[in-house]
Amino acid sequence: MSQAPTQAASPAPRIGRWTLWRVFWRSFFFLAASNYERMQNVGFAYAMAPALGRLYQGEALKAAMARHLGFFNSHPYLAAAVLGASIRLEERVAAGELPPEMVVGLKRVAQGPLAAIGDSFFWSSLRPFAAVWTIGGLASGVFWAPLAFLALYNLFHIGLRAYGLWVGYRDAEGVLPKLQQFNLVKLADMGHFALGAFSGVLVALFADQARRSSLPLGDGIEPILMLALTLIFFLSIRRKMPTIGLLFGASLALLGYVLVLNGLFPLW
Amino acid sequence: MLALLADLGLLALLGGLFGLDRRAAFQLMLSQPIVAVPALSLVFGHRPEAVWLGCVLQLLWMSAVLYGANTPPNETVGALTSAGIALLYGRHIGPVDDAVLALAVLLGAPTALLGRAADQRLDRAGLALAARADAAAQAGDLRALARVPLAGLLRVFGSHAALITVGTGLGLLVAWGLRAAIGQTLTTGLAALTRYVVPALGLGVTLAMVRRRRGLGLGVVFFVVLLVVLGELEPGALP
Repeated sequence: MSQAPTQAASPAPRIGRWTLWRVFWRSFFFLAASNYERMQNVGFAYAMAPALGRLYQGEALKAAMARHLGFFNSHPYLAAAVLGASIRLEERVAAGELPPEMVVGLKRVAQGPLAAIGDSFFWSSLRPFAAVWTIGGLASGVFWAPLAFLALYNLFHIGLRAYGLWVGYRDAEGVLPKLQQFNLVKLADMGHFALGAFSGVLVALFADQARRSSLPLGDGIEPILMLALTLIFFLSIRRKMPTIGLLFGASLALLGYVLVLNGLFPLW
Repeated sequence: MLALLADLGLLALLGGLFGLDRRAAFQLMLSQPIVAVPALSLVFGHRPEAVWLGCVLQLLWMSAVLYGANTPPNETVGALTSAGIALLYGRHIGPVDDAVLALAVLLGAPTALLGRAADQRLDRAGLALAARADAAAQAGDLRALARVPLAGLLRVFGSHAALITVGTGLGLLVAWGLRAAIGQTLTTGLAALTRYVVPALGLGVTLAMVRRRRGLGLGVVFFVVLLVVLGELEPGALP
């Protein structure tokens, strides 16, 4: 797998735009065959396959396929940047300008930081923020709000995926500083502030809905009750109590309380 | 009965497709409860109930995040099972009131854990797929390599479709039996669960994801401000 370049250096072959589009399409199936041992290796090799097919034949193709089936675990969106950079390096490996170890080394170095940035920005900030924003819209009667959720989220998702692949292909390892200029970690931080603010809005909206439901408690107590319950659950979850345990525990407690209030279970 | 079976079949198809989006393909967030559950109502009707369910289930499963090798509860399975129970109850059994919504949430929630177990099983089975990919590489066969993710997608589709359909079918039976059996007291209790406890738990889960203390402070400020605004509004100004 780690053989030295076997041919004299020649102008690096290019895979062409159409092949890059095929790689982009395949990058959407990164996690189709994930596994505990080498994680996203199959998805990575599958996405690379059109490029490898253009660059290599015979034993060189087998070696190239094998080196992209090694361990790989990163954020599925930002991993497109590694894909683009790997293709550019593979072109140079095919031309004999670089040893194959360079490609493996780039993947090893880039996957961790990109995973951390992607997890922080997409999973723990953008997705919850976009979701609470959408719920606020739905609770206010905006029925197309889920479409806005999809548009907002995928603007970042598909935009960064495409940017990563194309700039990765153009600049190889230079894509990492380019991605840093977006300052996704800072954006993730701002997302947490927005998430907190919108969550407060949602508490008030749900309290208002409860007030106007079939079960109003009267005297304007609904917002206080909703806020108190939210804080109790918030603190319980911060103490690592499982959501499903809390759901069933609270349900049993509430139903038991209602039954006791009615005395001696008269309706059962 | 045939109509119910046809609806379950349609639910299996939609559940499998949404399940693919969750992790195996695209990840466009179509599988998130806030999108998938209202989308189901385009097929099965009961839009207001689906919107409410989509909102609270999204909040409830907000912390189900696919970090690295972490396998969280499968929110898509849990949410679509809950939605399937509520919406098919409305189509085939009776009106969907707050008690039915509460039962749907309670009966659907454990399937998210079953979904997690299925995901873990799929990841273990993925080792065999990786071995197939290795064999394709040894043969230098790019077409054989391309078939490996397809096999993975089929497994994910089948797993989601089966779990959601079986969960919904069994859940419907239980919901039908329980709703017919419970009296006014428990109906009131379940309504309180729907209107107060489930949303508050979801909001608690969501607030726990806020990593900045000042973000929580902002939440309190916005809560108070909106409360004042809502107090100024005529009742029913918001839907």
